[in-house]
Parts: sequence; C-alpha cells; structure tokens
Amino acid sequence: MAEPQTRPAGIDGSTLPGPYGVGAYAAKLRDYLRGRSRVQLFGEVWNLRVSRAKVYLELRDAHGAVPCSMWRDDFDALGLGERALADGAQVVVAGGLDYYAGSRTSSPAFSFAITALRVAGEGDLLAQLDRLRKTLDAEGLFAPQKRLHRPALPRTIGVVTGEGGKARDDVIAGLRRRGWQGRLVWAFAPVQDRHAAPRITAALQDLAATGTVDVIVVARGGGSLADLFCFCDETLCRTIALLGVPVIASVGHHTDRTLIDDVAAMSCSTPTHAAESAVPVHCSDARASVLAVARRLDVHSRRALLHRAQTLARLSRAPGEHLAGERRRLHQRMREIRAAGRRRVQTERARSARKALVLDRKAHAAGTGAGGAARLSALASALTAHDPARTLDRGYALVTGRAGEIVTSAAAARQAGDVRLRFGDAAVDATITGHDDRA
Amino acid sequence: MTEPEPIPLTAEPLTYEAATARLEEIIKRLDSGEAGLRETLELCREGRTLVELCAAELEAVGQGLEELQLGELVARLEAGAGATGA
Repeated sequence: MAEPQTRPAGIDGSTLPGPYGVGAYAAKLRDYLRGRSRVQLFGEVWNLRVSRAKVYLELRDAHGAVPCSMWRDDFDALGLGERALADGAQVVVAGGLDYYAGSRTSSPAFSFAITALRVAGEGDLLAQLDRLRKTLDAEGLFAPQKRLHRPALPRTIGVVTGEGGKARDDVIAGLRRRGWQGRLVWAFAPVQDRHAAPRITAALQDLAATGTVDVIVVARGGGSLADLFCFCDETLCRTIALLGVPVIASVGHHTDRTLIDDVAAMSCSTPTHAAESAVPVHCSDARASVLAVARRLDVHSRRALLHRAQTLARLSRAPGEHLAGERRRLHQRMREIRAAGRRRVQTERARSARKALVLDRKAHAAGTGAGGAARLSALASALTAHDPARTLDRGYALVTGRAGEIVTSAAAARQAGDVRLRFGDAAVDATITGHDDRA
Repeated sequence: MTEPEPIPLTAEPLTYEAATARLEEIIKRLDSGEAGLRETLELCREGRTLVELCAAELEAVGQGLEELQLGELVARLEAGAGATGA
C-alpha cells in the first residue's frame, strides 16, 4: 500500500485534533513515557525469556502485572544463577517506562525498562505451592495413585485435555505407535485459566464414574509454570489422589513439577509419552508373542504325546526282546558246554594214548628181558611162603574169636571165652576154661 | 526346580498381564524338560486357555480406534442401563 502523501480528512463530527501520522504519535508517546518518573517496583518474576539482545519478563502480584525488559548485557552483569529468576521469584527492579515505537515491518512494544534488579526472595506463589506440596505429602496423598493397578492392555482410555490443543494429536500419535485401537474417551476442558482446575476435576470425576475407563491421561502441550498453575490446584490434586482410576499426568513442564505430577500414578514429559505409558504393551509385538507361545505349546504337547507313544511301544516290545535275549544266551551257553566237552574228551584220549604207550613199552620190556621168568618164579615162591595155609598144613592152628578176629594171646583167648580153632583140614569151636598157665 | 503354582480361582477376572506372566512360567517349566507327561498335558491345556484370553484382549484393542466424547459415552451407558432395566 502506498504511503499517503497528504493528511486525510478527519472523522465528521469529531472535535478531537488530528488526524496525525501514527509514527509521529508513537515517537511522541515514547518520549512522553520516557519522561515519566523513574521508580523501583517489586513483585514476582514470571515468564522469563532470554533473547540475544534483551531479557523479557513479567512482574506480577495479586493486583496487576507489568511487562518488563532488560538489556542482555545488564542482565548478564548481575551474575545470577540459572534458577534465580525462576517463575515466582520475588525481585525488586529499578527503571522507567519505555516504548518501542515499531515501524511498518515491526510491532510496537510497551515495557518497563529495567536498569537494576535485586532478587528479594522466593515468590509467594511458589512458597504457597511448596507448602501445599508438603501438606499433601504429609497426608500420604502422593501414594494412593501409585498403588493402583495400571492394566498393561487397557480397553478404554480417558483423556482430559484442551479441545483445540496439539496434545490431542500427540495422544493419538502415541497410541498409534503402540498399535492400540481401543476406545478413546475425550473429556475436553480448559487447561490454562482460572476456570480450568474445577473443569478438569469434574472431567476426571465423570470419567471415573462411568466405570468403564481403565486409565486416564491428563495432557497439556506445555507452558510456563504460571500457565500450568491450574494443575497445582488443591481440590484437583486431592480428587486425583483419591480417584479409583490411575491417572497419567503430562502437563509438559521441564523445569518445575506441578502438584499433579506428584499425586498422579505417573508423570510424563509429553502427551505422546503419556499415551505410550497408558499402553505399556506394544500390541503388534504382543500378538506375535501370543502366537509364538501358542505354537510352542503345540510343540510341547505333540512332543509329550510322541514320547509317551514311543515309551509304550518300547514297553510292548520288551517281553519278546527279553525272551529272545535269554534264548540267545542259552544257545551260547550250550555251544560253550559242547566245546568244553569235546576239548576234555580229546585231552583224556591223548592222555590214555600216552599211558597205553607207556604200558605197552613196559610190557614189551618185561616180556623180552633175560631174567624175567626167573624173577617171576622167585616172586611166586616168596608169595607162597607167606601163605598161612601152608603153616596150618604143617600142624599149626589159627585161633579166632566169635566175630572172626584173630586171637593171638592167652589173655585175649580168656577174654573171648568161645574161640574157633582153625586147623589145616577144618575148624572146631572151643571154650576157654583152664587157669592161667604161664610158661 | 519346583513346579509353578497354578493360578488360584478367584472372583477377580484374570488380567492380560497376569495371563502373560503365567504363560511365561508355563513355557519355562515346559522348556526345562522336568515336567512329566500328565503335568505337560495339563500345562498345555492351561496355556491354551490363557492364549485364548490374551488373544481376545488383543482382539478387543485391534478393531480400529473408537473415539467418543465423554457425553456420548455417558449417554450410551445410560441407554444401555435403560434397556437392561426395561
């Protein structure tokens, strides 16, 4: 659009001066504001942003707020730690009003230009938050949600979030990543202003009251602690602590914990992470695992039955195999006995042959010797000389007892009483009656 | 190794995670080779029941994402309760 060369006519009926060019008015406004008194202010720091050239923050208290800015060099010269100006920090600042007039290509900005800053102490809001955190902790309200069972595979998931926020898409993306396609119940509520906490509380109670929701995700796409202060509401936190359904909080603040992070069953940094935590199981992997388990059960079942069948078959063959084994052993034993008999017969036959040979040789030697007949005759004579019959023939008698025992003394004859006297021709019985007649 | 404890029969319905945990125990026991024929067959029978339960749970969250607003769910539940009551 071309810059107007001439001043346009004013509004009909208006008594106000002008119209003036806005640039000239902005410059006048800047000069006017810079001319105001320079003062010191105190309040709580919120929404600190550090850029390359300047540092921006809001100074707040219960009654109002002023946007402030400070040159980056001045800010760095303070040497404050990273957390010194966290949201809620109490500070005293010195400076004055300033106005950046802007241009056709840049936006104007009003701010209190800080030239000096001193940290005065912890902000009331953070102190209040800390007191509430300690109270809830002392009452044991951080524990009940952690004790609730969170199902690995919920069928219905409730989500409390802003209706138009990016968190909604992030939750769906997280669930899709898990392969989960169950029932998703949206409970939309404001997640930032002073109406947020009661609406979020009511949404949580309503979701739990349906009795069908397995887990609830409270999601917001991040923001400063001031923006998220509704998630530190005492009633909301007490409601969550006593809710019968597990709540996963994801209010997206990286440096400060809201109270809902403490009372919830689980706290996640992003809505996507919260959605994934609501479904710990990856459904596609789980389906594959269940299928694999089913196959392994089939394998074990078939293997067990096959093993039993093989055992039964082996047992049924056992008696026959045992008999065959015994038969083989008996045959073997018989073969061994026959072989041993044959070996013994052969041995004895050889020994007999050797004896016969020796006897033959002796007989031959005896039959063919020069003094053989004479020796035999002498032996016969000696044998005859010892024959008792020849002595009886010569008149001697042989005395025997009743039992036929030889009686060789008078004492033995007396003791025997009845004796038999055997002569050369015959035997007679006699009785011993006389006295001892010793020679 | 001791035989895994069978799941007691309670009024509480068996959850997916309890079923998968029990299945892991069963497979571990079967893989150990220490179970006899009777125990093996009983474990396989129990395992098949649990597999069916897990498959049903997975089937329930695999039919396509169903998005409802809280008001719709409440209306549906009330309609269901009314039909049951009638």
